[in-house]
Amino acid sequence: MSAGRLASPSLPAAHLPPMAHLPPMEKPPALTAGPLAWLRRNLFSSLGNAAVTVALAVALGGALRALWRWATQEANWDVITRNWRVILWGRYPMEQVWRPGVGLVLLLVLTGLSLAAWRRPAPTRYRGALVLAWLLSPLALGLLLAGFELPTPRTIGNNLGYYLFRPDLLPVLDAEWRGPTALFLVALLAGLTRSVQQRRSWRIASAIVLALFVGLNLPSAFTIRSGPAGIPLPAALPLALAGVIGGFGGAALGRRLANLEGLRRWLAPLWLALLAVTLLVLTQFDVGRPEFDPAAVLVPVQPNLWSGIMLTLVLSTVTILLSFPLGVLLALGRASRLPVIRLSCIAVIEVVRGVPLITVLFMAQVMLPMFLPLELTIDRVIRAIAGMTLFTAAYLAEVVRGGLQAVPREQLQAARALGLSELLVTALVLLPQALRLVIPAIMGQFVSVFKDTSLVAIVGLLDLLGILNSITKQREFLGTVREVYLFAAVFYFVFSYGLSAASRRLEARLGVGSR
Amino acid sequence: MPDIQRIDTGDDIIVCENVKKWFGEFQALRGISLRVRRGEVLVIIGPSGSGKSTFIRTINRLEEHQEGRIVVDGIELSHDVRNIAAIRSEIGMVFQQFNLFPHLTVMQNLTLAPIWVRRWPQARAEAKAMELLERVGIPEQAHKYPGQLSGGQQQRVAIARALAMEPRIMLFDEPTSALDPEMIKEVLDVMQELAHTGITMVVVTHEMGFAREVADRIAFFDFGLLVEIGPPDQFFRQPQHERTKLFLSQILHQ
Repeated sequence: MSAGRLASPSLPAAHLPPMAHLPPMEKPPALTAGPLAWLRRNLFSSLGNAAVTVALAVALGGALRALWRWATQEANWDVITRNWRVILWGRYPMEQVWRPGVGLVLLLVLTGLSLAAWRRPAPTRYRGALVLAWLLSPLALGLLLAGFELPTPRTIGNNLGYYLFRPDLLPVLDAEWRGPTALFLVALLAGLTRSVQQRRSWRIASAIVLALFVGLNLPSAFTIRSGPAGIPLPAALPLALAGVIGGFGGAALGRRLANLEGLRRWLAPLWLALLAVTLLVLTQFDVGRPEFDPAAVLVPVQPNLWSGIMLTLVLSTVTILLSFPLGVLLALGRASRLPVIRLSCIAVIEVVRGVPLITVLFMAQVMLPMFLPLELTIDRVIRAIAGMTLFTAAYLAEVVRGGLQAVPREQLQAARALGLSELLVTALVLLPQALRLVIPAIMGQFVSVFKDTSLVAIVGLLDLLGILNSITKQREFLGTVREVYLFAAVFYFVFSYGLSAASRRLEARLGVGSR
Repeated sequence: MPDIQRIDTGDDIIVCENVKKWFGEFQALRGISLRVRRGEVLVIIGPSGSGKSTFIRTINRLEEHQEGRIVVDGIELSHDVRNIAAIRSEIGMVFQQFNLFPHLTVMQNLTLAPIWVRRWPQARAEAKAMELLERVGIPEQAHKYPGQLSGGQQQRVAIARALAMEPRIMLFDEPTSALDPEMIKEVLDVMQELAHTGITMVVVTHEMGFAREVADRIAFFDFGLLVEIGPPDQFFRQPQHERTKLFLSQILHQ
């Protein structure tokens, strides 16, 4: 509580009329800056400085000239031009390379939609859908690149029937009891319908179905079969009993439950389920055997075939897409009031941050399989993504924590006073402001993720660097190490600088509402 | 919400009995008992550190009281999250520092809670928001961000934001203390207009002119105690307590 003003006299309204004779604003003093002034001030301010400038310029010019001569005359660029397919796609099957292409286009479309949605006030639901799309995008990318299979409709039907009813566990009815059982079930539901549903159409429909089943059983009603203890028994007797007991039982049940509000809504599903069950009874549960009969939608491409620039891009985008939500969750967990959540988040963050990335990658390759059952083998690419995601998420969590702490407490109080629940306070007020504050740091983290993907070459994956390494070992291209590494350096620089530039634009765009 | 138990408190919309609150060792509230009638405008005054701000923050659980009981519109303020949510949705609050959400436009500030808490369709929330912005006199600012508005405009938006939830009670925590002098009147005018609509208002303020003109009763807080409470005429002309006389003499004779 501040001392504040204790008593203020009543003051006139805020808007004063404009002044009658306002002199025009003057121009600022003439520019003292300009390219020449800048040069003079920074490079040639004294004789000594001028000498240093000239010497450095000469040295730099010489180095650049040498590089230029080497690049244009001596270097053997065949190593890049003749291998560009391998560098780009690695061992991904050539006839399938449209899939990573489509994945890239999808991500770009999603990015464009998001930028458009956050540029101007957009309906919240639309933004929610975009956030969901981003959260699901790693899975979609994985399915697209790795391919997937779906069971055929026939196998779905068979498996469903088998596992829902497990005919091997149920006592299979003898042929002569199936008719009465089905009749009993139909009569039961018809009676129930009659007592709870006043509408005429329902009563008529259920009567028709009942009549249908009675008719189906008529031919067998005139046969004689052996009843209990070998006494001959007309088949009509159990049929009639089943029908009567079922009908009256259903009606009685319905009257007892009649004041149950929701029952009427369940009538239609009950009838559908009953017809299915009745059919099963009549067919003696002959629903087929469980089996898996997959139809490939996209031809499977094992992740160990992913390589080249494609692998570099997949590793970095999937790591970024997965580690961002994970990092935000870790940061929120670290700020949680519940000690178990807070302490476990702190443990994860601090342990992971205390270990070099290359160690995490080795651990993911060597130790992750030890914690999993033997039958479950996870591909090495997936393991590398898991390791990098965990590592990046721990760093992001600390960045986001900084943002969370920078949001004034009063913002949360105002949100709570409006009646927002803690979840909504976090999602609508805390996170949007916190993340906006740390965009530069987050984007910096993403740039380093992109560059750090080159470390997977050490654990034996063929990303851009891995592929280039293996090319230099081919007899044909021995001694082209310089060309190859210069190419890699230029590639990484172009992408990293592009990301940085994009981040600056994003900051400028999202900064609109900043205080 | 059918699950929430309501207590019959008659004509009183806020009932506080012996409310106590400590910050560590420091006792900020030393047993406040106070009842606010439906539609009443109660102004709370007192020197800084007297607990008046802390007190109104206990009413919507921005501060938790440790002893005593508070019943708002028949709902007891307990640890039950549902009770707290129900009470908060009946109370609007206006802060000294406005506390508008800087990442949202004025319109989004006003529609956020109605859409997410009351589950109103967007069109209905926006119609209500425009109506309120017209009432506080700034419909043309709907699509600006709070940072582009003056302090007085921001505080009027904050009042509209609180009203958008259609509360029965409005709490004002020194609403004019952070404003430049020429903007105080525009906010007080809005508050005065609001007082005539019959909504219950609890206002912590240093604006004695407003207190004299608008308040039904004035409460004087000091050292975490409710020292004196009464209608403005009696309060200013014949204060009963020495502390009240001292305080009034300090602020009225400059």
